[in-house]
Order: sequence, then C-alpha cells, then structure tokens
Amino acid sequence: MKILKSWLKEYIHQDISDPRLEEILMLSGLEIENVEKTLQDNIVVVKIKEIKKHPNADKLRIAIVDDGEKDIQVVCGAPNIKVGQVVPLALPGSVISGVTLKEANIRGENSHGMLCAQDELGIGDDHTGIFILPNDYQIGKPINQYISPDSIFELSVTANRGDCLSHVGIAREVAVYENSSIKREPISLEKTDSAHSSTEIDVQINEPELCPQYLARVIKGVKIAPSPQWLQDRLIACGAKPINNVVDITNYILLDLGHPMHAFDLKKIKNNKIIVRLAKKNEDLVSLDGELRNLDKEMLVIADADKAIAIAGVMGGQNSEIDMSTDTVVLEAAQFEPKNIRATSKKLKLATEASYRFERGIDAGGVEYAINKAANMIATISGGRVMSGIVAKGEKPNKIKIEISPDKIRSLLGLTIPKDEIDHILRLLGFSISDGKCEAPLWRHDISIWQDLAEEIGRVVGYDKIAPVSLDRTQKLIKTNYYRLEDIKDKLIDSGYCETINYPFLSENDLFSAGLKSSDLLEVANPLQPENRLLRNSLIPGLLKNVAKNPAFDKVLLFEIGHIFNKTREDQNLAIVSTEKSKEEFVQFVDVFAKQMEIDSKLFKIKFYQKGELISYKIKRQNVCVAEVNLSKAFENISVDQKLTIKPYSLAGMYRGVSKFPSLTRDLAFVVDKNIKSNEILQQIYKQSPIVNRVELFDEFVSDKFGADKKNLAYHIFLQAYDRTLTDDEAGVVIKDIIAAISNLFKAKLRS
Amino acid sequence: MKVKGNLHPVSALLRQAVKIFEPLGFEVFEGPEVDTEFYNFDALNMPSDHPARDMQDTFWLTDGRVLRTQTSNGQIRYGKKHKPPFRILSPGQVYRNEATDYKHEAAIFQLEGLVVDKNIKVGHLFSTLEFFFKKLYGDETKVRFTPSFFPFVEPGFEVSAKHNGKWLELLGAGMVHPKVIKNMGLDPKIYSGFAFGMGVDRLVMLKYGIEDIRLLRSGDMRFLKQF
Repeated sequence: MKILKSWLKEYIHQDISDPRLEEILMLSGLEIENVEKTLQDNIVVVKIKEIKKHPNADKLRIAIVDDGEKDIQVVCGAPNIKVGQVVPLALPGSVISGVTLKEANIRGENSHGMLCAQDELGIGDDHTGIFILPNDYQIGKPINQYISPDSIFELSVTANRGDCLSHVGIAREVAVYENSSIKREPISLEKTDSAHSSTEIDVQINEPELCPQYLARVIKGVKIAPSPQWLQDRLIACGAKPINNVVDITNYILLDLGHPMHAFDLKKIKNNKIIVRLAKKNEDLVSLDGELRNLDKEMLVIADADKAIAIAGVMGGQNSEIDMSTDTVVLEAAQFEPKNIRATSKKLKLATEASYRFERGIDAGGVEYAINKAANMIATISGGRVMSGIVAKGEKPNKIKIEISPDKIRSLLGLTIPKDEIDHILRLLGFSISDGKCEAPLWRHDISIWQDLAEEIGRVVGYDKIAPVSLDRTQKLIKTNYYRLEDIKDKLIDSGYCETINYPFLSENDLFSAGLKSSDLLEVANPLQPENRLLRNSLIPGLLKNVAKNPAFDKVLLFEIGHIFNKTREDQNLAIVSTEKSKEEFVQFVDVFAKQMEIDSKLFKIKFYQKGELISYKIKRQNVCVAEVNLSKAFENISVDQKLTIKPYSLAGMYRGVSKFPSLTRDLAFVVDKNIKSNEILQQIYKQSPIVNRVELFDEFVSDKFGADKKNLAYHIFLQAYDRTLTDDEAGVVIKDIIAAISNLFKAKLRS
Repeated sequence: MKVKGNLHPVSALLRQAVKIFEPLGFEVFEGPEVDTEFYNFDALNMPSDHPARDMQDTFWLTDGRVLRTQTSNGQIRYGKKHKPPFRILSPGQVYRNEATDYKHEAAIFQLEGLVVDKNIKVGHLFSTLEFFFKKLYGDETKVRFTPSFFPFVEPGFEVSAKHNGKWLELLGAGMVHPKVIKNMGLDPKIYSGFAFGMGVDRLVMLKYGIEDIRLLRSGDMRFLKQF
C-alpha cells in the first residue's frame, strides 16, 4: 500500500522528517518496502565555480558547476546565479515539468543538464530565478535527500492490521509514537438539499449478520467530469486509476479513511430500492471490470427491486454504474462481514481494494464519517446538492471489554511500567478505559486478549527497553535421530560423496525411466508444473537428475537424505549415487558403509544402470550405481547413542559463484619441496585468474623417485567464465600462467 | 589420496545452529513434511476464513492434506506428547506454491525453535536470539526486535541483526499464542512459551554471498563442491 507524506500531514499536528517517519513506521511494525521521492535521484546538489558569458546569446550565460567529482558545463538563462552558490542541477534523463531532459547544445554551447527554479522542482511557485540552496547541502548528493515536495512510502501491512490500510490509519500510528493524537475535522455538509434522502431511496437489509450496517446518501445534480488535477495526482501516486469525479471520490475515501465505498446512479436502481440479500440461484452480474460473474446462494449482493446491482463489498455492477449522464448519485457506505466477503472474493477469484479491506475489517464506528466526507467532496467537486439525512439501517457493533491485568503485562514484558502509563498508552491508541477494563476502538480487529494489550504496550514503550533474560542451563540435552543422520553424512563425505538437496516433486516418467514403482503415490492438486505433480517415493530420480546435470565431472558421487512419501507413510531415506565404481566395488562399498553405520546391509536397495539405460535422463555414462535405504525403518526401535557428537562443519569456505555456462576442467601435477603446504599452492592457483572457479587437491605423496625431500601434488582446476563458454585456447592461456607462477613461486616442476 | 566430499551449505548452517543451541538443552525434533490442514493451519490459530492464510501460498494434496508451509506444524505434535519444560529445534524443508526466481523458491529450509515452561517471558526470547546471533555472526552483532504478526504468536516480532553494517531481517518470532498452548493440551494460565522460525536458505545466501537461491537445489557440483 502506498502512503503519501503530504496526505498524512493533513492528520498530524507535528512536522515530521522523513527519517523520523521511517523510524516510526518500523517501530509500529509497518514494513517499508520502498520510499519514492517525487524528486528523482538525478537532480543533484552542485556548486557554481565559474560563470561565463555565452558567446552567441546575450541573455544566456554558461555556468561551470562542480558535482564533487567533476566540472559540468550548463547553459543558464536565469539572472540570479553567482559563483559560490549551491544550486540544484537536473541531469540529462531527469524529468522536469513533464519533459525528459537531454544533453543539449544551446546556440553552439553544450549544456549537460539544467539548473532549476523552485517551480520546476514542484517545491514552490517561484520562477524568478534558480533555487539557491543552503550551503550545507552536500555537493553531489541527490537533492531529494534534503527536500522533496512529497515522499511516497510503500508499506507492507500484516494481515492483522486492517486499520492501517489508509492514510488516517497510518496517521493514527504515527501520532501515538509522537505521544499525541490525530486531528480530524468534523464534516459540515455544504450545499444541502432540504429534502431527505429517504424520499429518493429505501434500504432493506435481509442479512443483518452479513451486513451489520448499511448507510446511503443521495446527491442530486452532479456534473460528471474528470476530477481536478490534485485529486487525480493523489490517486495516481497511490496506484489508482482516475475515472470520473464521483468514482474517484469513493476511491479517495478508501485510501483516505480505509473505508470502501460505492456510488450508484439512482435512475438505474429499479423502484429506488436497495436490498442487501444473498444472490439467487443462477443469478449473474456483469461487474465493473466487464466480466460476467456467476453468483451463488452464499454470496451477498446489493440488489434493486429485481436484480443484483453490485457484489457486496467486492465490486459494483455495470448495470448501475456512474456514467456521463448520471445526475443523482446514491452513495453506499456499509459494513460487511469479513468471512463472507473473503469467501466470495475467493470463489470469484476477484480480489479488490474493497474486498481486501472488508476481509481485514473496517472501522465500524467510522461509516457515517466516511459517507459524510464523500458526500461533501462530491458536492464541492462535482457540483451536486447533498440531500439531507442518511438512510441508515443496522447498528454499530458493541465493543468487547478486556481486563487490563497490569501485573501480567509487566511480567510478560519484564517492564516495570506504572499502571497510569499503561492506561495512557492505551488511550493514545484509542482505547476507552473504565474500572480496570478497556474497550478496543472499533478499527482494531486484532485485540481480544490481555496478551494483545501487552503487545501494544511493549511496542509503544519500545522493545529496546525490554531486558534480555537468559534461559537457565539446567535442561538436559536429549540427542535424537538428527545426530545419527549427521553422522551418516560425515561418513559419506569422508568417502568422497557430496550432499545434494532436491525437490520432492516427480513425474511418472521420472520413476518409470529409473525402473521404480509408481504405486500409492501422493499427488499435488496444484503443482507448479502439471507433469511434476507426484511426491517422491524414492530419492533416486533426484540423484539421477543431478548426475545428468554434471557432465563436465569425470565422476559424480552424491548423496541425499530426505523425506519420501506414499499414501500411508512418510519416511526419511538415504540414497547415494556413484559413477565411479564398478558394480562389485559399489556393492562392497555399501556393505562396508552399512556395517559402519550399524544398518543391516540387506535393507539397502542397490541398482545398476548400464550405458544407454538412462537415456531419458540424458545420462550417457558407463556405470551408474545407486543405493537407497529407508532410515526411518532401519532405525525403528533403535535408540540414539547419547554419546554421539556432531562435528562442526567449517563455514569458512569462499564462494566464487557458478556460471550459467559450462566449465572446463584441467589437471596439473607439480613436484615440489616436501615442506611446502599443498594449500599455499592451491591459494596461489586461485589468484592467477578470475576464471579459476575451484581448485581441488586430489593427490599428494612423498617419494624419492621425485628426488630427495620432494613430493608430488596434483590438482583438479575448474575454469569458468560468467559471460561466455570458455574456449580451450582461453583455458590454455590461464593454465600456462598458473604453471609459470607456481614454478616460479615454489620452485616447482610440472609433471607431464 | 581420497578427495573429500562436501556437506550441503544448508546442512552445514543447520548443524552450526544446532551446536549453538546445544548448551541450552534444545532437542532436535523433526515433524512431517506432509501434514493435515489442522496441524499446519487451524491448530496454529490460522482458520481457513482468516486472511492470514494468504500469507503463504500452499501446495494442497489431492487427499486434502498439505505440504507444510512452516515447521511450526511440529509444535502441536510435540506438545501433545511431552510435558513442559521443553526446548526444541525443528529443522526441515517447507513449501510455498510460488513461481521460482533467483529470490524465491518453492521449497526452503526452516529452523524453528520452541520453548515452553512456566513463566517464560519476552526477555527469554530476546536473550536466546541475541545469544544465537552473537554466536553466529560475532559478539559485536546487534539484534533488533520490531512488531510483526504471525497468527500462532502474540506478541509477534520481526527480528533483524546488524551484520557487516547492515540491518537484515532474519526471522520471525513471538510468544506462543495462548490458543496454541491450549492446542498442545496445556493450560495457558500456567504455561507460556516462545517460538522463532528462520529461513536457513537466506542465512546461507547471506553467509556466502550467493545470488541465486535456486543454486541450493540445483545439484550442480560446481556449486556443491565449493563448501
């Protein structure tokens, strides 16, 4: 939701800086997603260094200005500039008075931007000369850091705070943190027509539970036209589209007060009667967006004597909309039951600004204020006469009473806050207090228990005031299965296997191609891709996809521990894949590993895929061996050894990115003095070129056959570029550099 | 000589977290990834007609169950079977039905913490998370709590840590909602507690400067072998 600071100011007594406003929004839990200043970043503060005459124009001068880094030449016609002044410079690309500035040549002299007057920045009306800025503005900074005609805050409001979905709602929050309350003028209606609204419209609520209140007002003699510019500007800044001077006002009230409103054309309401009822079987309505909506008997509608004219709280109908011929407007301000609006909006797949607010609850005490403010604006802007009186049906709900319980609040928060202070904060927030109980204001739908009050007190006092309390260290640690799984991971890592994590989603073909069963599988009703709608019953398809992903590696050794599913069980499985070993070697490896982990090796399912068998996985390798075991079953009824410890795994590794393009691998072996550490050479290899992505030591041994006190070090070197596929030639150059550097630095000899 | 394999960075970070919490006696408890609507939503104070449900796009199974949207589904299951005091950590994968891009994933790892006892206060939560982030990022790390909303806690907090000079929103937390305590079969007048949940993928990405979350589940060995 977007909030304009200029609009907020109408409700706030204090002058408030942008940084303070940002702080308050953060303190009240309103997350700022973006702050947009109406002055762009490319209008910067500069200092005038030199002023020269323009050789070809008497009225123009050339100013050389300093932006803190360089001198910039601009042509300027204003008479008031002097050397040493700090002024705003709009750079090429910025938009001034609706025109995008370009590099210009003005009568033979280049101008790299434009020095601006106040009115050109939208800050004031002054156009007599360039806007001279205070000397303490930092040269080179965007001017919007100091002044901006407006700031637009884009906020993310949590689902419990429907009351903050408006300017007045945000203003209420801001005022509380400034220890004050908002200013809100009472409405005095202008241009009233002495006849009462009820002579033109009748309202009947058939479903009082779904519509506790319905208020209608009638405004006669409106002239439909585009809204005035200021109104359009505000709507546009908040992301709404201007339509006409009646509809815009209802939208304005929604953004202003958080109250969704609707306007009907009276002459389109059959028998001048509004009925709030459930839709009839097979009833439909073309909503304002032009879609035909099929309604059902649980959806609340606004109807006239014979048809639905709006989907209550969601969207109006075309059959009653305001158009150029509208003379008399019926304004609706109502309260609808949140759950019903939510259900209707979901079923119709139609979420609107109105339904969003009704779902979260509106200010049930502010309905009358909203309709009066809207009526008054229509009278003023659209030239109508507001008929006297409101046709009102239903009643405001009762407020709920909550015991304040200062002791519980103090204890939960760990704050020694006096009762008076608690009461004061609650009153600032709009609560009424009597006899140790309070009533939450009707705009707050998130307050029902004393813990809710504690949150209000805590956040207004400031969470930084709450002292940390350490948990005692008496709780005995119980080691669970997690420790056993981490132990398994360590053993596999020691054997050269890398851990991988895959999605649990599979297609039937994934299972079929891997020769796995596909019975009893769970199915996702709303999958991301329709084919991958099954939940895995094996980790093997995921591992095979990983093998396919890594053709550049001469061997792939991977494992995964993850959940597998079928209709009756969810288990934790381990699966491993190797492209290195022969069938026999792999069986033996699994056997040894199983013994080490005290798992019955018969529980492992082992599979071998010959070359060509995995063609649908795009795997062309010779030997692919997989093994899988259900760890939940293997460990069933075996308690975890409480002496088991997990080793910390170093997080110190340096991440060098992964290119979208394939990488190349080269192996280099050096003979060096046996005292040289393999890691020193490894680090030097990294330093030789940014295309060195990874270096891996794969062999190290000392032998006299290399000469006395010599050893052999062998490295895999992985090369990649981020913007292209590397060529062999490029790789060759880098490898040459590496050889030269290592030979030189470590007196190393390359082994061929 | 044998080249060692590599632990996935998500596992490595989780393991570090578990180690940090060990002295406080946190037991690791893993809940199921497929769960009923009751455990994933309703028991956590998220009835289906509440807009809070929209906070998470959900994968529904054809049998009416869901892929859990948060590790909190384990809270009620654990609470029903154990008597307080308890302190648990629940690591695990959770699911969101949203289109993936470099910032968004349909599956992410979460680490959830839950403490229930008599007299657990906001200060305990603050202290525990400060302890964690100082161990993770260093003693000079500052931790900030701001109001937020998660239906299963009250009050709820957004927790940020100042790391390398920048405030990072790292996790959501709060005091366990009395309704949730009740759903564990406990009396909220006697017991209170706190819970927190953090996205492990994000912590890993911040740690290493990984720019694309999808790499974590890519199976690309050029990636996996860097850790």
